[in-house]
Amino acid sequence: MFFYYLDLAWRSIKKTPFLSLLMVLAISIGIGITITTLNVYKMASINPAGERSSQLFALRLMSQDNDTWERLTPQITYQDAYNLRKSTIPVRQTAMFRTGLAVQTEDPNFSPILEGVRVIDSDFFGLFEVPFVYGGPWDKQVDSEGGYKVVISEEINQKAFGGVNSVGKSILLNRKPYQVVGVTAQWNPSPKYYDVNNGAFNDSEQIFVPFSLAPIEEYESWGNNNSWRHEDIRTYSDKLASEMHWNQYWVELDTPAKQQEYQEWLSRYVEQQQRLGRFKHPEAHGDISDVDKWLKEHNVVPEDNKVLVGLSVLFLVVCLVNMLGLLLAKFLKRAPEVGVRRAIGASRLQIFSQHIVEVGVIGFCGGALGLLWAWGALYVLSSKFDLEQSLAQLDQSMWLIAPMIAVSAAIIAGLYPAWRICSTNPSIYLKSQ
Amino acid sequence: MLQIRPIISMLMRSKSGPILLLVQIILSVAIVANASFIITERVSLMSRESGIAESEVFDLDIYNFDDGMDPVSQTKRDIEIIRNLEGVKAATVSSMTPLSGGGWASNFSYGTSKEDRVDAANAPLYYGDEQMIATLGLKLIEGRNFYPDEVLTGGSELASLLIVSKAYAQETFGDESPIGKVMYRGEIGNQPMKIIGVVERLQGAWVDNNNLERGMIINVELAAAFNRILVRADEEAIVGLKEAIPAALHKENPNRVVRGFTTISEHRNIVYRDHELMATVLSMMVVLLLLITSLGLAGMVMFNIERRTKQIGTRRALGAKKRDIVSFFLVENYLICITGGVIGGLIAVQLGQQLMALYSLPKLELFYPIATVAGLLVLTTFAVIFPAQKAAKISPATATRSV
Repeated sequence: MFFYYLDLAWRSIKKTPFLSLLMVLAISIGIGITITTLNVYKMASINPAGERSSQLFALRLMSQDNDTWERLTPQITYQDAYNLRKSTIPVRQTAMFRTGLAVQTEDPNFSPILEGVRVIDSDFFGLFEVPFVYGGPWDKQVDSEGGYKVVISEEINQKAFGGVNSVGKSILLNRKPYQVVGVTAQWNPSPKYYDVNNGAFNDSEQIFVPFSLAPIEEYESWGNNNSWRHEDIRTYSDKLASEMHWNQYWVELDTPAKQQEYQEWLSRYVEQQQRLGRFKHPEAHGDISDVDKWLKEHNVVPEDNKVLVGLSVLFLVVCLVNMLGLLLAKFLKRAPEVGVRRAIGASRLQIFSQHIVEVGVIGFCGGALGLLWAWGALYVLSSKFDLEQSLAQLDQSMWLIAPMIAVSAAIIAGLYPAWRICSTNPSIYLKSQ
Repeated sequence: MLQIRPIISMLMRSKSGPILLLVQIILSVAIVANASFIITERVSLMSRESGIAESEVFDLDIYNFDDGMDPVSQTKRDIEIIRNLEGVKAATVSSMTPLSGGGWASNFSYGTSKEDRVDAANAPLYYGDEQMIATLGLKLIEGRNFYPDEVLTGGSELASLLIVSKAYAQETFGDESPIGKVMYRGEIGNQPMKIIGVVERLQGAWVDNNNLERGMIINVELAAAFNRILVRADEEAIVGLKEAIPAALHKENPNRVVRGFTTISEHRNIVYRDHELMATVLSMMVVLLLLITSLGLAGMVMFNIERRTKQIGTRRALGAKKRDIVSFFLVENYLICITGGVIGGLIAVQLGQQLMALYSLPKLELFYPIATVAGLLVLTTFAVIFPAQKAAKISPATATRSV
């Protein structure tokens, strides 16, 4: 029966090509706009930590004085980062910041390049599940004692060593030799949730060096350095001892019990620091936020996107109302024909389902065309505005979502016209033939 | 003349069609009014002037990784090298690039003692030398520029003189002249800096921050391993300088990386990209929405004409002119449009308030829903008038034939 209705639907569409085209166009444009904005929204709001989202926590401390900043900031001071590393409760933890170093190799013909570098503890790789091609993180010992070890990305490995296994070789960073201990595979979480200071959608760093080297090598910070009071900072050790917020800190706590335990440990830390004359704010406290909360708090999804999704859904509604009107017009015009079919025995249900199938076909065509619009719109927008790759590609789920929205929306729009047509009295039309 | 009464009674008889049209117009007005309001808001944001010769100025970064390097003398040498290159009009070391989205900003205070301390608004800081004004192409409107011997090379703690933007001066001191005033960092007495000049306009690095217009210049040539330099040159000369500058710098000392070369115009495009994207997507939406609404309307009118063929023929037979038939459809359309427009306008204002509360958008001005309704009236006139003229051609004979 379904296929017979499909056939009928096709004939009816062919009979009124202009009206049908209008309807397909209306629904496809509605779907196209909705899918475009939904796609950008979805890609921007994806939680890159996946199922580990609830075990990874960004740490923040309210270490400022009263009457300065009223809120927690995404970063902490170096001295706090240094102290926090002593806790044994987290499964993994890392202090970090972003810097930049000039990369050279022992090959004198290799012209130096300036690269973004992340200064981290060895737990970083396990915590954020960074995949390795060769080797692995440096030993834990390096985190406490320091050591010129480095992990580089596949891309840097390609540039500097031609892509061979470079573990054990040495690379020059700011003219100092570092021993390569690992090469990471392609890894670029989007949004870049582990550091929201430097823009949430830029590329992740390609080189990783030990945090324990920071006081020795005096790495400059390539991120925000925020002070809540004026401090005379002239040397690097002034900066390390200052109240400036410029480090990020992440911990992995796998069970609620551990999370509880760590929270209590943090409160004791704050109290201890208060006895030393720091943390003077009445609401001074330590806070841990899992990835989900972290992304929300830092508004990683721009508000513009939400406004766009809202407006485009309204747009789709307009398209549907438009379609509803056209369907009503079309179906009622066919009333005499339906009258005859009813007279020779078609039931109301049959008439109803016949028309719903027709509407579904129109909706499906609209959805398919809409996907094409969305794909085109994303392509045009991304080439014109140089959008990040991750935002501009059509998410796979959209191939399913688009026709689903289209067909169900069309059917909702078609319910009333289909009901109107099946409930007409055939005798009226039979009489005037 | 306008036959409003019979039209209304006819609309009331077959309600579903007109109601659908009404809903469509209500929603369209609500969407278009809000969207076009956001568009104009973004466009006006983007059209703010920076006060800078944007297409002639570019930035570059020099990163020295030579251990034995003395930052102060190296910086002085570097800036000399760049200034002596052909095509360079002016150049200065700078703490930041205008409109780049990243840089330095700080708060100052003024007064004579702790008790009468006044905190001034946050301001973006350009640390640079006496060529900063020439490099950016700023207009000095009061006071004077730094003398070359007043500019110190080294760290930010050497600062002692300020040239502020007019916006900053007005916000801080009102109509009083700011020349000669002394500003402090944090506590009164801490790092005093005297204002010696005012430039007409100088934007900072963050276009979405309310400190944007409050730019100021400080008399320090920052010298460190990592230096940013702003260069002004003729537009045609910039391409050549991209090659010439690194070559000249590497000749002097190869242990460094030179990169950047982005003009302020390019920075402007990047920094306003999100706003432009929003404005573009919304404009696309408005155009398509109007297209859909008018196409849908035209479809409906065409259908109505077919259904009312007999009615139209009868009216023509009874003496109605072609003009009357067309005006009948037009008036019908205007009735629906105006009703929809009023309700839609109210909803638009409501929607605008929701958006304002949720997403910190400014309040919707009434002009936008009114303009949208006016626009819709014009557009729908076109959508109706062509099928209506076709309807007017229906011969009275049609009606008499099949009744």
